[in-house]
Amino acid sequence: MIWIAGMAGALAWAAPLVWMVSTSIKPPNQVLTRTIEWLPRTVTLSNYAQVMHKPVLRWMMNSAIVTSASTCVSLATGAMAGYALARMNFPGRKTMFFLVLAVLMIPTEMTIVPLFIGVLRVGLANSYLALMVPSLASAFSVYLFRNFFLSLPREFEDSAAIDGATRFRMFWSVALPVARPALIAGAILLSTTYWNLFLWPLLVVFQDSMKTLPVGMAGFTPGTGVGQSTQLEGYAPAMAAMTILTIPSILIFLVLQRQFIEGTTSAGIKG
Amino acid sequence: MGAIGGAPAIPRAGRSLPFDRLRRATWNGQRIDWSAYIFILPFLLPFLVVTIGASLFGVYVSFTDWGIIGAPHWVGLKNYSRALSDPWVWKTWTNTLRYGALVVPATTLAALAMALFVNLRWRGYTFARAAFYAPNVVSVTVIGLVWVWMLDTQYGLVNQYLGRFGVPDIPWLTNPGWVLYGIALASVWWDAGFSMVVLLAGLQDIPGELREAASIDGATQFQTHWHVVLPLLRPALSLVVTLLIIGTLRVFSQIYIMTNGGPAGASASVIHYVYEIGFSKYQLGYAGAISVMLFATILVVTLVQLRVFREKTW
Repeated sequence: MIWIAGMAGALAWAAPLVWMVSTSIKPPNQVLTRTIEWLPRTVTLSNYAQVMHKPVLRWMMNSAIVTSASTCVSLATGAMAGYALARMNFPGRKTMFFLVLAVLMIPTEMTIVPLFIGVLRVGLANSYLALMVPSLASAFSVYLFRNFFLSLPREFEDSAAIDGATRFRMFWSVALPVARPALIAGAILLSTTYWNLFLWPLLVVFQDSMKTLPVGMAGFTPGTGVGQSTQLEGYAPAMAAMTILTIPSILIFLVLQRQFIEGTTSAGIKG
Repeated sequence: MGAIGGAPAIPRAGRSLPFDRLRRATWNGQRIDWSAYIFILPFLLPFLVVTIGASLFGVYVSFTDWGIIGAPHWVGLKNYSRALSDPWVWKTWTNTLRYGALVVPATTLAALAMALFVNLRWRGYTFARAAFYAPNVVSVTVIGLVWVWMLDTQYGLVNQYLGRFGVPDIPWLTNPGWVLYGIALASVWWDAGFSMVVLLAGLQDIPGELREAASIDGATQFQTHWHVVLPLLRPALSLVVTLLIIGTLRVFSQIYIMTNGGPAGASASVIHYVYEIGFSKYQLGYAGAISVMLFATILVVTLVQLRVFREKTW
């Protein structure tokens, strides 16, 4: 009984995504039916062709560039700062860790008004750098790496220290290779977060060609009034757009499911 | 204890150059590792600008009449007093709190049910876990638009299935009385998987012997869960609830996509109002004041959570 209920729940949870794909391959005039048709009567790709009239590939490229650059920056700076916080002795260490912890709790919405003013003043609007601004300093990444390095036994590096290696050599050739699990978990969580960012890219980009994929695709929404035909038969192309937007995330998730869940666990529990 | 930083500072005879003294300087009884500053600098510089600096600047902006053109003037507490007498501030706060009152308990219960089910590790549990978690990795644009379609009054899947049980069509997103429920449905679908994973980790920390002991003592499955599992799950539950409260206070994107605050502002949240004021009307000072107020609220919630959490765990 419980098993049936649980599995029914799981199916219900997957249903909206399945329905999205199913709608996206229906001809628009077969979408609005008073009976539920999970399997399309006719399969068509015309909705996808219609979506492609918008600069979808450009948006995808923007998103890919911004996501990968932000993720690399966050991982590199986070690994270095996290290593210093975990392993090195210097005045200001406690203060800095306290600041990182405090900032983990400050929602980004707090800083959008000042950052927006700053970006406009510096003339960065409509640029990749502007899109990256809020992710330049990821307190989460520092926190993740600090905890990881603290959990490592020190013996690794001690032997390197005896060999006379500098701090940088120790970090680069001893600590970092061992930190692969943290790098993978961080890369997954950060890139998903950055890929899905919505509010900030919505604010700092005014040109259609510089939009990120989630913001660009939101143009198919009735709420924003940008999509022309979403209301009635427009659901089919809208769902095609959503399918395009979903595929990368879901594919990565299905391949790296275990890392996703472990990463969320460490981020959620210790954060 | 051969800690690297802890190597005793070996005194060198006969030299006391300033550089040498720096090299031998200690902190907390250990030699200072000056290269640490090079390690933290790439993080610290942007951090000081885009996070710390921006937060302080944001507080400053909230005391000015900052607009898109013209020089800003210091206006003191005027933005704050204006906010307190602004009916839209009250309305959007009420909407946000009502939305939270729907989403927080619903998501917690859904996540708890999911976690308990997945934790049984019956056949197909990996599929169930993936299905529950999947919406969490998807962009909010997808969440919003898919649910606009799911909740369509006439043709949406939800109303069609409800119709089979004789429920009349519900105007989920077009009726002021229903719209928060509609958005809440989408949010629960989006968020529950994340909370489930946090609860799963909490469940796995509970020693199996405790459950066995309870069942040997003749407790039913239900009693074991109610009296043994749930109390031990309290820290994880408290964390989940806090994260959800903070999340619902910040809600914006789903609303922007699904209804843009409508109909007639019935689904406008606090951040949505900040967006309207700040980025459509460009009254940035006033928008800053409202976000500072929201931040203060979130800070209080976090501090309460930290206190409760710490007492229960240690």
